[in-house]
Amino acid sequence: MIVIIGGSYQGKLDFARERFGLTDDDIQICDETTDAIDFSRRCIAYIDRFGLNRIRSGIEPADCFKTDPVRLKDMIFIANDISGGVVPVDPVLRAWREACGRLNLYLCREADEVWRLFCGIPQRIK
Amino acid sequence: MSTYISGGCKNGKSYYAQRVAKAGGAPLYYIATMIPHDAEDHARICRHRIEREGWDFETLECGLDILRCLEDADPKGSFLLDSVTALLSNEMFTPEGIRMDAPERVAEALETFIKRAPNTVLVSDYIFSDAMLYDELTEAYRRGLAAIDRRIARCCDNVIEVTCGQFIAHKGALPL
Repeated sequence: MIVIIGGSYQGKLDFARERFGLTDDDIQICDETTDAIDFSRRCIAYIDRFGLNRIRSGIEPADCFKTDPVRLKDMIFIANDISGGVVPVDPVLRAWREACGRLNLYLCREADEVWRLFCGIPQRIK
Repeated sequence: MSTYISGGCKNGKSYYAQRVAKAGGAPLYYIATMIPHDAEDHARICRHRIEREGWDFETLECGLDILRCLEDADPKGSFLLDSVTALLSNEMFTPEGIRMDAPERVAEALETFIKRAPNTVLVSDYIFSDAMLYDELTEAYRRGLAAIDRRIARCCDNVIEVTCGQFIAHKGALPL
């Protein structure tokens, strides 16, 4: 498993496409309306957005990835790092921020490689 | 040598950038990008001026159209541009209205700037990792700043992240 993290717009998806030869069909792009992970794809982008959808439904995002760990083995996950700002006043955003932290910790612990993007520059941190 | 510096607020970017620029030789230029709007801005500018006293910086006031400041300066000198964030904000949010083409124009101008004055240190702000849902305009600004960061990082010799007064070279090497 590979995890690619970094702040917004740092070039995570471009890096994933280029380094791992992904096409559009390989990638599920999540947004706030995404309520299920498509495990048939090689790459799931913006799992934090999926996380926000799950939090709004009262579900712990990390649990959605723990059901079948074997399936995660060959996958690539892209996550926006949302851990760096002020604690949000909104309780939902607060819960979201913490849940994404737990999700990233879980995936990065299981991952063979973790990459972080900064200004478009990749750095392997695991 | 050109160096791009980014990182969070109050982590030591500006002080490090000043030292790198100073080590870059003479004449030494500080490009002041902030356009003061109120008393708080004036006080901040005053504080920054005091901090730079004794460093032999010549201050070039240039909040807009960054290539202008090369007209009165020696391009072989050492330049410190602090900050790209303020420059984009000035170019994007103008008294005449919002200019959505600002990120593209600023990136273009900065690329040209570094070609003409290769001894430049640029400071940006890392505003990309908080748990907020912004309005589309703020999001356009963040997207625009990141696009500039990525493009200028490609043409700079060094790309440095500053965190807690510590320095990480993502490209090139630590100049100091």
